[in-house]
Amino acid sequence: MKVQIRKVDQISILDCSGDVDLYSSPELREALLKEMRSGAASVLINMADVPYIDSSGIATLVEGLQLSRETKAHFGLFGLRNNARSVLELARLHKVFALFDDEKEALEKIPTIQPFGGL
Amino acid sequence: MRIVISSQPKLLNILRCVVRYRAQEVGFPETDVDWLTMAIDEAATNVMRHAYQNRRDGKVKLEIQAFPDRMEFILEDSAPKVSPEKVRPRSLDDVRPGGLGTFFIHSFMDSCHFDECFAGGNRLIMVKNLPRKVSGKDESTNQKS
Repeated sequence: MKVQIRKVDQISILDCSGDVDLYSSPELREALLKEMRSGAASVLINMADVPYIDSSGIATLVEGLQLSRETKAHFGLFGLRNNARSVLELARLHKVFALFDDEKEALEKIPTIQPFGGL
Repeated sequence: MRIVISSQPKLLNILRCVVRYRAQEVGFPETDVDWLTMAIDEAATNVMRHAYQNRRDGKVKLEIQAFPDRMEFILEDSAPKVSPEKVRPRSLDDVRPGGLGTFFIHSFMDSCHFDECFAGGNRLIMVKNLPRKVSGKDESTNQKS
């Protein structure tokens, strides 16, 4: 898995590609928590190129959500594939995260959501 | 079919490929293939994290057996015995990192239990019934509610 970080209008976007599992989730965790702790006001994760995410990946996202509460940052995910969305739904986390269909929608709406994720 | 890998997380991808291939070959619908693959991946992840406690030199053995009405997945390790109490699914009401792997396994598998008689490690036996259309009957099954 690869994680690349870019900025769009002061919003940090983490572009992820590849499976997020026990092997790769530490890389996502490190990048996500580093970006949160750097004082980013809004952080989005691009999941469009993530074909698989397991419980360790979900745990990383939950950790990011919790940190966003502490740092008062806006946090959201976009581009989830059906199976990743199904995993969040099964874990009843789809209403906990701010989920957007694509980057355009995410960039439009992320400043309007409550910090720490809730819509 | 049997596959043995060392307890290195980078090898989970191989395990997933094998499970996916075999489940597709048996005839599970694609959605079920995704869930099956995840369930076995989560079980192997638990072995690496909790049984071997992140040691990388253990062995993880997966045996896959296909029957007319079901598939059985037998996951073995040679780590110290894990108490089943420690790997029970947790409540989803508590939003916190971790503890979801066992929940995913139990959500999708029709049966999942440790073989208490297995000596020299842990043996987890997971069963997934085939949708009835595939097994020659007339109803389909899917993820448990």
